[in-house]
Amino acid sequence: MTSISNSDPSSRKGTSRRGFLAGAAALAAGGPFIPVRPAIAAPIEIVHWSWLAASDGEVWAKMIAAFNEAHKAKGVQIRMEIVPEEQYTTKVLAAVATGKAPDFGWGTAGKEAALARDEVIVPLDDAAKKVGLDLADFSAASLKASRYPKYGDGLFMVPMDLMSLQPLINLDIAKEAGLDGSKPPTDEKSLLEWARAMTKREGGKVTRSGIMMTGAAVQPTVTWGIVAAQMGFRRASDDLKTAAVNPEAGKKAMQWVLDLFDKEKVSTRDVTDRYKAFGTGQGGIFWTGPWTLNGYLGQKLNFTSALFPNIGGTLRTYSEIGGLELYAQADKGRYEATMAAVKWLSDNSFLWTTVGRGASPRKSILDRPDYKTAGAPWSVRGPFVEGMSFATEGEIPVLAGPDFTIYSGGNFLAKTLDGVWAGKTSIDQAMAQIQETWQRGLDEG
Amino acid sequence: MTDTATLAPGAGGGLQPAGRERIDKVGYLFVAFFTVPFLLFNILPILFGVYVAFTRWSIVGTPRWVGVENFTRALSDPWVEVAFTNALLYGLLIVPGVTVLGLAFALFVNRGYPLSGLARTLFFAPNVVSATVIGLVWVWLLDTQFGLINHYLGGLGIGAVPWLTSTDWSLVGVAIASVWWDLGLAFVLFLAALQDIPSDLTEAALVDGAGRWQRLRFIILPQLRPVLSMVVTLQMIATFRIFSQVYVMTNGGPAGSSSSPIYYIYMMAIVRNLFGYASAIALLLFVAILVLTLVQRVLLRERA
Repeated sequence: MTSISNSDPSSRKGTSRRGFLAGAAALAAGGPFIPVRPAIAAPIEIVHWSWLAASDGEVWAKMIAAFNEAHKAKGVQIRMEIVPEEQYTTKVLAAVATGKAPDFGWGTAGKEAALARDEVIVPLDDAAKKVGLDLADFSAASLKASRYPKYGDGLFMVPMDLMSLQPLINLDIAKEAGLDGSKPPTDEKSLLEWARAMTKREGGKVTRSGIMMTGAAVQPTVTWGIVAAQMGFRRASDDLKTAAVNPEAGKKAMQWVLDLFDKEKVSTRDVTDRYKAFGTGQGGIFWTGPWTLNGYLGQKLNFTSALFPNIGGTLRTYSEIGGLELYAQADKGRYEATMAAVKWLSDNSFLWTTVGRGASPRKSILDRPDYKTAGAPWSVRGPFVEGMSFATEGEIPVLAGPDFTIYSGGNFLAKTLDGVWAGKTSIDQAMAQIQETWQRGLDEG
Repeated sequence: MTDTATLAPGAGGGLQPAGRERIDKVGYLFVAFFTVPFLLFNILPILFGVYVAFTRWSIVGTPRWVGVENFTRALSDPWVEVAFTNALLYGLLIVPGVTVLGLAFALFVNRGYPLSGLARTLFFAPNVVSATVIGLVWVWLLDTQFGLINHYLGGLGIGAVPWLTSTDWSLVGVAIASVWWDLGLAFVLFLAALQDIPSDLTEAALVDGAGRWQRLRFIILPQLRPVLSMVVTLQMIATFRIFSQVYVMTNGGPAGSSSSPIYYIYMMAIVRNLFGYASAIALLLFVAILVLTLVQRVLLRERA
C-alpha cells in the first residue's frame, strides 16, 4: 500500500530509511539507465484508530470489513488499529506532533475542545459538502454537540451514535417484589416505591439494592448530574460564561442521592463493580448506557429497559454522542478520501446503530421500517432510542470540559462529590468548590 | 604513568604504549552499549521533564514557559496534598508490613523446618505476578459483600468491612494487597542475609545462655542492619511510586482516599494532557523521595 498522494514528499507514509538506501543505491548503480514508466493509480490505505474493544468493537470491526469489501475493486482500504481508550488522546497528540497521525478515529461530542484549539482535529463542514454527506439528515442536537463555539464553531465530528442513560429493570426481582415489569416507574414517587419493594435488607444492612449504586465514582456522580438537571441546575449557562447556574437545585440533588443510601436505604455503598453486581442480581434498577445491552442479553439476564423517570420536574438524562473525527495531516490531500470513507460508514451505519450501540443520529436510518426489528429486542433497545428526545446532559465544550463531565469516576466533579457521599464534605462545601473550579474553567476558555 | 613493559615500537619508529589506544576504544564501545541508550532514554527524558515542568505543554506545539506557576499551583492543589499524604500513610502501612513479615517469614524458613523449601517458593511467588493481576485478585478477595476476607472475618464475628468502597478503609485495602505483593523480595533478601550470619556467633550466644529473643535482638538484627536499611529504603521508594494497585483496585477513590502521587501524575498527564503540571508534581515527588531516603539513611546507617 502507498499513500493517497504520490506527489507530496511529506506524506505520512514517507520513504523508509531502508527504502531510501535501496533507492539511492539503485540510482547510483543504474539510475541513468532505468526506463521511465508511466504512473499507475496507487491503492489507498486509510488509517483508522478505534478504542472500541468490547462487543461493540466486534460490530465496528464488521463495519470496517464491509467498507473494505465494498471498496476492494476501487483500491481503497481502511486499516483499523485498536488503541486503549484512556491513552487514546495522548497517542493521537503524539502522532499528530510527529506528523504520523491516523486519518480518522473515534471521538465524543463536546470532549475535544483542546484538540479543536490545537488544530489536532479538523473542521469538516467543507469536506462534508465536498463528498456529499447530507448533514440535513442528521439530528440538529447531534450536529450542535459536535461543534465548539469557542473554536470557530466548525463541525469537528460526524456523529455516529446517540447514547443516553436509561434504567434497566431486573424482571425476576420485580416479579419477586410483586411489581409489573411492563409498567415501570415514571416519577420520583413510583421510583421510590419500586426501589423500596425491590430492596433486600439483613439486619438493617442493604444486601440487594432497589436502585443499584456504588458508594463513589461514576454511578452516584451521574445520578446527581441527571437529577440536578431535572431539578433545574445547569453546569454552565448557554453562553458558557456562568458556571453552576441555580446551585440550590444542585444541592437538593446531592441530598436526594444521599437519601437513597441513608434515609430511604434503597441503595448500598458496598458495591465495587456495578456492571457485575447488576448482572448477578444484586440490584433491581440500574441506569446505564446502551453499551451494556449486548453483554446482559448474552448472559441471558431477565431484564427490560425503561425511560428515565421524572424525578426533579423536567425530564432530562445523560447524553453521549460518539462519532468520527479527522486528524491533522501534513498531506492535506488525504482529507477528501478519508471524508468519503467516513461518509460511507455513516450512510451505512444501520448495523452499528441497531446491533452495535445507541440510536442513529440520521433520520433516514431511524425511519427505516426494519429499524425496530433489527438487533436487540425493542423492549430493551427502544427506550435508548426514544429516550434521546430528553437526553440533554452532554459535555460542556470548553478546555476544562473533563472537570464538568457527569459520567466520570475520577475527575474533579466525581472526587468532590465522593466526599459528600462519604460524609467527609458538606453539601455546601462541595457546591462552593464546584462553583469555584467550574467558573475558573469557563473563564479559561 | 607509563608501563615500560608494554611499550613497543610504533609506526613512526618511536615507542608507544602497545595496544593501549586500541583497548581504550574497545572499552568505550562496550560502555556505549549501555551509556548511549541510558542517556537517550533515561537522562534526556528526565532533563526534558525538568524543562517541561516550567512550561505549559500538551504535546502538540511548543512548550510555553510559565516559570514556577506549575509548582505554585501544585502546592496549593488540595488533591496533590491528598496524594502525598496518602503516600506517607501507605509508607506507614506497607514499609513496616513488608519488613516485619518479610523478616518473620525469612526467620521461619531459615530454621529449616520440613517443607521450608516449599514455603520459600510460596512466600516469594506473589512477587513474580504482575501488580495488575494482584490488584484484580484482591478486588475480589476484598469485596465487601462476597469477598473471601469478609467471609472469614464474619466467621470470627466481625462485620463486613468496606475495604475498597469506604474512604476510611480503601487505603488499607490497597496496602494489604501491596504488602502481599512486595514482601517476597524482602523475604529473599532477609533470607540471604540470615544465611550469611556466621553460625559461631549464634552458637556462642547459645553457650552464654542467650534466649531466642536475646539472640534475635543482640545477634541477628545487628547483623541484618545493612540489609534492613536496604529493604526499608527500597520499600519506601516503591511505596511512594505505588500506582498499579491503586489504578486497578480503586482508581484512587473514593474521594481520593486511596490516590497516590503517581496516580495523580498519571491522571494529569495521560488523562488531562497537562504535561507541564504533571512534570512539576513529578519533580516534587522526586524531592520528597530524596529527602525521605536521606533521613532514613541517617537513621538506619551503620554506626562505626
